[in-house]
Amino acid sequence: MRTIRLYVRLLGAHLRSLLEYESDFWIMMVGTVIMQVVNVVFLAAIFAKVPHINGWSFWAVVAMFALVAIAEGVGSLFFEGMWNLAWQINQGDLDYMMVRPYPIVLQVSSMQIGVNGISNIVTGGLMLGFAIAHLGIDWTVGRIAGGVIVLLSAIAVKVAINLATNSVSFWMQSPSPLFAFAVHQVGDLARFPLSIYPLALKAALGFALPFAFVSFFPVTFVLDTGDAWVGLLTPVVAAYCLAVAWFIFSRGLRRYESAGN
Amino acid sequence: MKPYTAHARAAALSALAYRGNFLLSLGGAAVQLIALLAVWKVLLADGQVGGFDWPHMRAYLVVAFASATLVGTFVDFRMSHRIRSGLVALDLVKPVDYQRARFAETAGGVWIEAVAVIVVVAITVAIGGALDTPPGPMLGLFAASIVLIVPLKFAVSYLSTLACFWTENFVGVLWARQALTGLLSGALVPLAFFPGWLATTAQWSPFAGLTSTPALIFIGQASGTHAVLLVATQLGWVLVMWYGARLLFRRGLRRLTVNGG
Repeated sequence: MRTIRLYVRLLGAHLRSLLEYESDFWIMMVGTVIMQVVNVVFLAAIFAKVPHINGWSFWAVVAMFALVAIAEGVGSLFFEGMWNLAWQINQGDLDYMMVRPYPIVLQVSSMQIGVNGISNIVTGGLMLGFAIAHLGIDWTVGRIAGGVIVLLSAIAVKVAINLATNSVSFWMQSPSPLFAFAVHQVGDLARFPLSIYPLALKAALGFALPFAFVSFFPVTFVLDTGDAWVGLLTPVVAAYCLAVAWFIFSRGLRRYESAGN
Repeated sequence: MKPYTAHARAAALSALAYRGNFLLSLGGAAVQLIALLAVWKVLLADGQVGGFDWPHMRAYLVVAFASATLVGTFVDFRMSHRIRSGLVALDLVKPVDYQRARFAETAGGVWIEAVAVIVVVAITVAIGGALDTPPGPMLGLFAASIVLIVPLKFAVSYLSTLACFWTENFVGVLWARQALTGLLSGALVPLAFFPGWLATTAQWSPFAGLTSTPALIFIGQASGTHAVLLVATQLGWVLVMWYGARLLFRRGLRRLTVNGG
């Protein structure tokens, strides 16, 4: 409990400092909202001409886009500091964290706050809400509970991949997390139904970098179409990703050797 | 002329120094190319949608990739940083025209992007077969239209980066610009897919020249006088925005506050 309370306070401090720059805040908000609106217009333009992509309707694809937006939003709002890890290692800033009585990984991830996370979560949430309303899902208690668990797990998968790929910075000299950014970009592929991709990409997004569990499989589970049972594996995949991320981070931390000055 | 070629040469060399960031932006465009190719391959598996069949759409998307890769955001980031930090004062005392110097830098960095485009196009052709090229005169017009992308995209970026004189935040402006140009240029989906009013507006906006014009000429959907008119529109917007930017720059300078030190 104390860990969580401290985490909220750490983030709160950064949020307050960011709100000092009010116009910055609104420009970032407007920027991300425009990005999401453009995504929906783009999908609407395609679906105005075709009824479905490989069996997936407009609203099903909107739901996948929405899940990616929400997962990214949670990543930036609550764990943005991970993207700063490479810089911290490069500068030797982890020294300070090692002497504080709080988990280092949480100190790292709370180092920053991405206000664009707020607008991504809100617009993603709206997109998901509209999609669910239009998809005519047969809600049972089991499906609601399962849906919530799958949604939370999907977010955990994305955050875990962020942590794992940023932790690779322990082995690289670069002050910016190029590898993590590259993987993050690959994640954009998961906004479309996995079934449209050639086998190699399916394998990559399903196993190697399980971005398909951020968006595609959770949606198949809630819609109960295709291989819906795979969606139920999302919590397992999330646990696995978190374990791997934690393993890479702690192995990396052992390699860490300050900056020396 | 000489100081500007010096700027261009320096930018051409620094393109190599920042190859990590360059490869990253290239990766982003490549991911989008892969996703859109996969989507359209499924959609066009049997027949046409909106007047496009698979070979044409594939060629369209390859040209869209090329136009997305040419003229990256390197110069904008540097410029926005120098405006916000006040370092721009040093640029202003140099005996060169600010706007022309920035354009020289942009043009100097194009070579590495052109090389990357050639490599990716070669890979696409190797995997999916050759692209049909338009007949001789139209090929010349296509080349002119591709070359015009450089000053046109520079003008769009330069104008939006001048916003830093007023906003002090660049990333939000950049996101909004990238999202809007992606949509209105036809990079995400051909403009013909939009509802009539939006398609017409986009068609004659400066953005269509960034992707739609060269891509439509390449696949032969725009030819003859229509194609000439589209390229003339590109040129017209280059001139309008070039001189418009000068006016805006003059107003922006009045807002500039530089702290001494």
